[in-house]
Amino acid sequence: MSSGPHRPKLKPLGQPRAITVRTNENGAPVHVRLPGKTARRVDTVRERWRIDDEWWRETISREYWAVVLDDGRMLTLYRDLSDGAWYAQRE
Amino acid sequence: MSTPRSRLQSVPTHQGRGWASTSSGASDEWLITSAPDVGWASGPGAGTAFLPAPPRPSTGSRQALCLWLPTFELRLELVRSPGLDSTSVALLSPGESTRRTIWQVSERAYDAGVRPGQLVSQAVSLCTSLTLLEPDPAHYDAAVDTMLEVLTELTPVLEPAGRGRVFLGMDGLGRLYGSPPRQVDRALRALFRIFPAPLVAATRAGMAPGKFGAWVAAAAARTGEPVIVPEERLVPFLGRCPVNVLPVEALVVERLERLGIHTLGELVRFPEPSLVAQFGEDGRSALAWSTGRRVDPVRPWHRPRPIRASLKFSTPVGLVETLHGALDRLVERALSRPARRGRSVTGARLGAHLEGGGSWFVETVLREPTASRERIASPLRAKMAISPPPKAVETLLFELTHFGAPSAQTGLFDRKDESGRESGGHELAQGEVPPSLRDAVKELKLRLGHSPLYRVVEVDPWSRIPERRHALLCFDP
Repeated sequence: MSSGPHRPKLKPLGQPRAITVRTNENGAPVHVRLPGKTARRVDTVRERWRIDDEWWRETISREYWAVVLDDGRMLTLYRDLSDGAWYAQRE
Repeated sequence: MSTPRSRLQSVPTHQGRGWASTSSGASDEWLITSAPDVGWASGPGAGTAFLPAPPRPSTGSRQALCLWLPTFELRLELVRSPGLDSTSVALLSPGESTRRTIWQVSERAYDAGVRPGQLVSQAVSLCTSLTLLEPDPAHYDAAVDTMLEVLTELTPVLEPAGRGRVFLGMDGLGRLYGSPPRQVDRALRALFRIFPAPLVAATRAGMAPGKFGAWVAAAAARTGEPVIVPEERLVPFLGRCPVNVLPVEALVVERLERLGIHTLGELVRFPEPSLVAQFGEDGRSALAWSTGRRVDPVRPWHRPRPIRASLKFSTPVGLVETLHGALDRLVERALSRPARRGRSVTGARLGAHLEGGGSWFVETVLREPTASRERIASPLRAKMAISPPPKAVETLLFELTHFGAPSAQTGLFDRKDESGRESGGHELAQGEVPPSLRDAVKELKLRLGHSPLYRVVEVDPWSRIPERRHALLCFDP
């Protein structure tokens, strides 16, 4: 039997998903819309931290936000500081 | 209902997990919803019965009746030895070999300063006339079985929650038994058939929508005075309850109290996101319980008939090696019973009748379903090493208590070498792929053209970048 289509052997887990975020004047997220879902208001910001890493190759610079949405759901999201795009990520 | 109050003075109400306190000023009427100043359940131990159920169509009974016999085990001992009723008695905690502690205490012992959780030496120094009793789990379990059997005649929807506490689903029984007070009365009368009057008289009964409401009602009830909460009064009733009735982590309750939130009524004033932000999932659950939004129905309880095997020694045995050998034989015997019908085993229990009375038990829940003798016996041997029988064993008892899917399927993951011998303790990552699994992957590859199985591997588990920590590796042995 011929070999099947080539498939990657290693699949990363916890890949970030692009999301749409509206921020306030301080850059904090106020509304979050996950792909295919309705926008939710950010009720509380639980935590905020920054990661700057891998400067020796392609610099990773992210500002993370752990938030609680108005429906009670907890979400970790980050803003890629290199291009300003927002992502949700399962930790 | 007749209530022999003279007997009630001597029955114990104190046990290790601090369930409820009684209060004076009893009335003889049926209590429809409770007054806020009655005794309450305390501690998160109540949570054992209220694990959040996964969302699924309700198949249980919304109207729940909780029957609760505090210090059930000690009461059974006093029923068995009535002479002890007028003395200070304490039941030793099961499963400890060196530093024995007190589990349950009688009223007299409590008055003398003996408390659950104390070391035996402390208890004896406080009360020199204290009678210490070894626990007899086999006797208690037999009493629970009898109780469930009798209550099954009343309603088919029955859900036990530990010894001495049972939930009855009462939906649709009104036309059969009458009003809720009559239904409670009927349930208590059923208990009179198997338990002596003092034991039944000490039973607390609470009826409400959902198990949580019924349990809180039972904890608030006084002996002989059931608390019945109608649907429309559930929220106000819960609103008066202290936060320590919530089946959440003790730390959450402590923090709520520190924040000045003492009752469920005060708790419901807070918006859900704020509670989630503060307490996580527990905050959400607490609000759902408090507002009556989460009503957990009583679900019919199904217990598979256990497969039992026992071995009576000609002379009592204390030697561990002999007991291990006997355990192996019993496991083999139980596994070979036709009643197993090829099912795998997920839970087992080892017990013993001890020399000079009393019994002993250890239980194990297996990490994965199996029908291998060694995998069943091994955790029981480990438990026996931690908590050995306190006395020589007259009869060794073994039970397969929980069952999984037929064992032929799980054999796929048995780690055996080519000769069929166990090679347990090794990870698949070490290259020791069981032949059965290798064959299964081969078959899947033939069908699909590739192996659809993956294994989670650590790439850089301490990385600050989440997607660098773990990955799925194609499993293709």
